[in-house]
Amino acid sequence: MKERKTFAGRWIQDFLGICNHELKQIFSDWGVMLIFFVAGLAYPLLYNVVYLNGILNDTPVAVVDEAACSQSREFIRQIDATREVEVAFKCINMDEAQRLMQQRKVKGIILFPRDFGDKLEALETAKLSVYADMSSFLYYKNALMATNFVMLDNIRSIQIERYEALGYTAQEASQLTRPILYEENNPYNRAFSYNIFLVTAILLIIIQQTMFYGMSLLAGTQREKNHSFASLPDRLSGHGVSRVVLGRGFAYWLVYMAVGLYIAFIVPAIFGLPQRGDFKDILILLLFFVTDCVLFSQTWSVLISRRETVFVLFLAISPICLFLTGTSWPTISFSGFWKVFSWIFPSTFGVQAFLNMNTAGGDLSAASSQILALSIQTLVYYFLAYATLYAENWAINHEREIREVREKIDEKRGLDRKKNAALISGEETE
Amino acid sequence: MSVWKDIWTVIYREFMIIREHPIYLFGSVGVMLACALFYFTFFGAGLPSDIPIGVVDLDNSSVSREFRRQLDATQLGKVIEFENYEEARLRMQKGQLAGICVIPEGMYEDLLSSRQPTLSFYVNGLYFVSGALSYKDILQMVNLTGGAVQREVLRARGMTDSQIMGLIRPVDIDLHQIGNVYTNYGYYLCNILLPGCLELVTIIMVIYSLGMELKYGTSKHLMKLGDNSIITVLTGKMAVYTALFSLIGLVLVIAMYHWMRFPLAGSIWNMFIGIILLVLASEAVGIFIIGCLPVPRLALSIGALYSVLGFSLSGFTLPIEAMPAWIQGLSEAFPLRHYYLFYVQENIFASGFAGWYREVIHLLIFFFVPIPVLLRLKGAFIKGNFPKD
Repeated sequence: MKERKTFAGRWIQDFLGICNHELKQIFSDWGVMLIFFVAGLAYPLLYNVVYLNGILNDTPVAVVDEAACSQSREFIRQIDATREVEVAFKCINMDEAQRLMQQRKVKGIILFPRDFGDKLEALETAKLSVYADMSSFLYYKNALMATNFVMLDNIRSIQIERYEALGYTAQEASQLTRPILYEENNPYNRAFSYNIFLVTAILLIIIQQTMFYGMSLLAGTQREKNHSFASLPDRLSGHGVSRVVLGRGFAYWLVYMAVGLYIAFIVPAIFGLPQRGDFKDILILLLFFVTDCVLFSQTWSVLISRRETVFVLFLAISPICLFLTGTSWPTISFSGFWKVFSWIFPSTFGVQAFLNMNTAGGDLSAASSQILALSIQTLVYYFLAYATLYAENWAINHEREIREVREKIDEKRGLDRKKNAALISGEETE
Repeated sequence: MSVWKDIWTVIYREFMIIREHPIYLFGSVGVMLACALFYFTFFGAGLPSDIPIGVVDLDNSSVSREFRRQLDATQLGKVIEFENYEEARLRMQKGQLAGICVIPEGMYEDLLSSRQPTLSFYVNGLYFVSGALSYKDILQMVNLTGGAVQREVLRARGMTDSQIMGLIRPVDIDLHQIGNVYTNYGYYLCNILLPGCLELVTIIMVIYSLGMELKYGTSKHLMKLGDNSIITVLTGKMAVYTALFSLIGLVLVIAMYHWMRFPLAGSIWNMFIGIILLVLASEAVGIFIIGCLPVPRLALSIGALYSVLGFSLSGFTLPIEAMPAWIQGLSEAFPLRHYYLFYVQENIFASGFAGWYREVIHLLIFFFVPIPVLLRLKGAFIKGNFPKD
């Protein structure tokens, strides 16, 4: 005799059944496993290795010392001693230095013109020239920063000499040359390292993108085999959509909480990335972010009707997601359109929240606006996932009508699929 | 004679496939258009402006007010005032401020009596571009303010302006930015990001197109059309994609250096050579991947992992020499790396053939990469001897 179940009881049974079914699908599909576990686990490591040092030291530059005076020689010695720059070549003239730059043996040229010493003697402004290779902005930054530091340092000693020559005492001169002292701090990323801001951002993008690709791969496969999850609960006839969305989602959520814990806590620890946040706070962020990503992926994977098409259509979105987080080009400079566009992706808020808490050491209040945004996004994507499931269910039930429409369009385009099939696969149909 | 006919048949067949399945055009032209639209418009004027910088003015004197006003007047910065440091610090931690300047109490008094007040500033290096630029902006403003104080003192002594200049600024830097005079981030990044997208799209599309023959079992018929010669078949199929992606590449180069007027020291004709070589090398990589692993879904996953990595390993942001040695070696296996080196020679230094012929050779070497897997691919095409599920 069949036992009559309460609504909640049946709901939970369906939910667990669907979740279980989806987990089985995930773990029996090599493509998905490759994306979830090889990419999800190895990519964070690989990116950390690529950006291991994160900073560029000792950029080679060439020096052309036409002045050949004691001051220019002192200058060159000091520039060579900076972290940023190494004087790799001393050239006789600009032609030689330019040739070295073109051969990419040096990434910058520092030129002391003939009148450099004379101008200093005459108490005028002496100019030195810096030529920077802009093929990477880090070359330019290093060449400019090193010469700037050394210049500011030299300016002071020259100024003191000149003031003393004017009859000021040594103390007066020192006070006059530096009327304001300053103290600089870059508390979260002391040396502007690439790994600290970029790798940290990439970590969360890996969570979002691998989940989206993997889920789309699986959804596409199921649609191809004509047993899409949207057609599974026939007996529910459109009423059990929420348990399908949540049941499927829960399977991915379980897998990705594991992957997420690894990416958010273990990977930074392995590579010594800053982990200044509270464990509890980051865990809360991860709960919000992974939940959001699950529903985001469920919604957008509706566009994928064949197993392989997700990479063809959406692979190029990954670097775009990275730019949309605002870690490199600042959010404040986004145009209105791209700002709104960036709200589509969980990574936009997830990365900012993760940086503010994990790396800048803030508590939940430092990420409150992002967490609010993630919650709103989750809610919106929940309903969208719901809607897409309805849409797909409708499409499955109206397959014949849709085919008729497609045939009409084919006719208008003059496309004869039967004739094509003969050419493409050699099948002579009827 | 008949080989040419076979190739033509394969080409015609490929056109029919593309016509029947819109994904081929969406995945190539559509994706490239979307990427171009994004990267061309995303960086706006090329240099951020009005970056929020918090100022905590504990002095509130004529000098500190002038400092605030001047900092706000720079194109780069926009001053937001705060009552105390703590409040500003929390905002910076939230990523809403690129930097904070704390003007100490009694700065004006200290200046007047030569007591050298200390100004503190903080920048947020987690939001890279805004952090680095605000650092530059604040530092420059501090130095300018110091100079202004000196100028006042020296003027009071009755010195002329040219004498004062020699005292305030005894040494100056004359900066020449080769290849990107205005430090334009849009030029800098698009120059490699968009060819990078082209590499990615080419690799994925080639794997997809060859993979679909396997998946739908049409490869057997295809081989029959090509008289069972894998070379004929690949020549026919690749002719279509080479034409398509080369055309996209040429339009991209014209878009960057002609329509968008990106700086280009060398010749646009040479850039055409570079982009077409990039397309050809990427196709070779695509054939290699599907040949090694004739399972469409796995090959596509591998192709995806490979091509996304190409952006980082081209070394156009963090240079290759800052990466571990074995990663430096690995970067040679990416066509985009060689395209980047080609671009540096042609676009930045205009060194022509002598500068970039090595990169051309490197890119041509990619043509030989598929050879070892051709037999495997042929086997898979004819016998279908690969795992189906």
